[in-house]
Amino acid sequence: MEGKSPMTTTLNRPAKPPAAAKPKPTFKQRLNVFDVKASPYLYIAPFFILFALVGLFPLVYTFVVSLFDWHLLKGQGDFVGLQNFTEVLHDRFFWNSLFNTVSIFLLSAIPQLAVALFLAAVLDQNLRARTFWRMSVLLPYIVTPVAVAMIFTNMFGEQYGLINNVLGNFGLDPVMWKSETLPSHVAIATMVNWRWTGYNALILLAAMQAVPRDLYESAALDGAGALRRFFSITLPSIRPTMVFVVITSTIGGLQIFTEPRLFDPATAGGSQRQFQTTVLYLWEMAFQRQNFGKASTIAWLLFLIIVLFGLINYLISRRIATADAAKPSRAARRATRHRPERTKR
Amino acid sequence: MKFVRRHTAAAIAGAAALAMMATGCSSSSEQAASADNPVELTVTTFGTFGYDDLYAQYEQANPGVKVKATNIDRGANARTDAFTKLAAGSGLSDVVAIEEGWLGSIMEVSDQFVDLNEHGAGDIKDNWVDWKFKQGTDPDGRVIGYGTDIGPQGLCYNGKLFEAAGMPSDRESVAKLFGGEEATWETYFKLGEQYKAATGKAWYDQSGFVWNSMVNQMEEGYYTKDGELNVDGNSEMKAKFEMLAAGTASGLSANQTQWDWGNGKAFVDGSFATFVCPGWMLGTIKGQLESAGGGTESGWDFADVFPGGASNWGGAFLSVPKTSKHPAEAAKLAAWLTAPEQQVKQSAAANNFPSTIKAQEKLVADAAPNVVFNNAPTGVILANRAKGVVAQFKGPDDSVIQENVFGPALKMLDGGTADADKAWSEALTLLNDLVVNN
Repeated sequence: MEGKSPMTTTLNRPAKPPAAAKPKPTFKQRLNVFDVKASPYLYIAPFFILFALVGLFPLVYTFVVSLFDWHLLKGQGDFVGLQNFTEVLHDRFFWNSLFNTVSIFLLSAIPQLAVALFLAAVLDQNLRARTFWRMSVLLPYIVTPVAVAMIFTNMFGEQYGLINNVLGNFGLDPVMWKSETLPSHVAIATMVNWRWTGYNALILLAAMQAVPRDLYESAALDGAGALRRFFSITLPSIRPTMVFVVITSTIGGLQIFTEPRLFDPATAGGSQRQFQTTVLYLWEMAFQRQNFGKASTIAWLLFLIIVLFGLINYLISRRIATADAAKPSRAARRATRHRPERTKR
Repeated sequence: MKFVRRHTAAAIAGAAALAMMATGCSSSSEQAASADNPVELTVTTFGTFGYDDLYAQYEQANPGVKVKATNIDRGANARTDAFTKLAAGSGLSDVVAIEEGWLGSIMEVSDQFVDLNEHGAGDIKDNWVDWKFKQGTDPDGRVIGYGTDIGPQGLCYNGKLFEAAGMPSDRESVAKLFGGEEATWETYFKLGEQYKAATGKAWYDQSGFVWNSMVNQMEEGYYTKDGELNVDGNSEMKAKFEMLAAGTASGLSANQTQWDWGNGKAFVDGSFATFVCPGWMLGTIKGQLESAGGGTESGWDFADVFPGGASNWGGAFLSVPKTSKHPAEAAKLAAWLTAPEQQVKQSAAANNFPSTIKAQEKLVADAAPNVVFNNAPTGVILANRAKGVVAQFKGPDDSVIQENVFGPALKMLDGGTADADKAWSEALTLLNDLVVNN
């Protein structure tokens, strides 16, 4: 329906005086109109149909399950309304899992983005064998997370792990990577960082390459140093991509499962839930405690939290975007004083 | 139009044929497998099961049968696997191994498993020790599992470490040292303190397994016979917990990670000197020694004694889920795998202890020395240890209580972050959160 008015105007472009009698459109013409109006929707339909099947339906069904007492093996029980939600919100383990998730997320996302940005900036320079370097940073990404987790879990072993062995050689106390909360978060964040830094660096690199080179040249001619160019030209220019990377890593970070699951395969996130993330708690609820109703509740709450985080992300990055808007354009203007037509970019 | 209709008719006929094929497969008038009617049977086991050679043997003896086996590393993961597939209503193998610890959960949905009485369970029921067969029978008298092994417990100990601590190291003297038939946990912990004083090293790997042994030994464990929770206010259980806590507090636990043991290194570097050993654990230790590159020289031995008397921990069953397309063939395979003759072979391969009487007698008669355990006649010893074992009722949440309720509490003791009272009350809180108000 929304498409109607622009479509009609396009069709009526050779506007005749409204009084003139319109000839009855032929079948072919009508088909044409239909084609123009309906085709776009048909073209995008496969995505939405697929989404409805594998995205929307499970989402709704999960909500339905969350309203029931639902046992993993025994199936559907009584309708309990929102009782599962009240109980989960009063559950200390739920809040503990949320704290762990956010803590691991912050420990991974912030250093990861900083390093990715640095790597991308380095890879953006004129390096020898640059494809080799660029592909190399992606290597960790193609290793399956299970293998990564197993190797790191071994390294972070408390009594027999590589890292504590090395620390011991220097006469340092071993770090309790699995039984203390913060060290365990650092260990898990390390796995995440190892896997995702290169991937994010490549995305940021792609964005950096789209920044017009003459901006840099002009800035350099005007005496702007490498750092200045990076902060005043590169960063503002890749802001949309940064926002994308931040949002995807937020979503990924809040759904973290494999790494904490395999960090201690015998428990669901540590013996005292030191590194039990929310998805891991969901898993414990569903497959160990066999309470599918509450597991669905956790899934829904997590969904809402991710939406919330997404919104906050969006608002913050928009604020940054508007706050910075004057600065980069001023810098760019200075940089490209002699070619004003470029400032539009 | 005619053209179209003919096609429609053909499509309907085709669909009907497919449907008939599908229903034909799952109907009870199942054709026996033969070279002309090949059948693939899937089997899921866990831990060290020792079936690999038996599958090949069965395939050879039964042309047309192909066994596709999956082995899951640990019982807990096999539980998740089985529960997930039960919940999904598909994906379970034709033959599924079930562990005693989560049999209680399975019993709640026993109607999802084939009643083996329909496939001749009645004819072979006398093969098993009485209580094992009963465990695999649901309240309605449906037999849903054939017993594979049982878990009578003996004491694994490291002879070399005992010697170094100035303690006797041969099997008979060790059995006597611990009190023989009158062995108690008090003696066990007292000897531990002596060992600790002499060597400064730990006595057992971690508190969890000792606790499992203590609980499995009680007449009623986490549940009463009537299926009521039996933890809060259970003074006998609490007393045992306090005894264990005191031992751990005085440094008798090596605070190892269960099922990990630094990839077995803890078994060869002298971290601890004793280990509670249900029959199947012998296979686990063998695997751990292999992965750490340790052999017979690592000093492990097996004594015919157990603190607190007879105890059974674990053991498994083979069951056939209703989703199996070949229930008769699957039941036949399960019956064959658990028959005495095969149990003897399984025991040789996996070091576990059979649940059928004839197989047990054979093991005793053979008295084969077990190379890994300093040539101890492990079969004979386990047969002795099985005397007086009483099957304990396992409730629906038994494995959750063992792993998620007491697991964390015991880990607190091992890590030295709580005393007995705090750990016990933590266990009660967890019980309340995870089981009572789940």
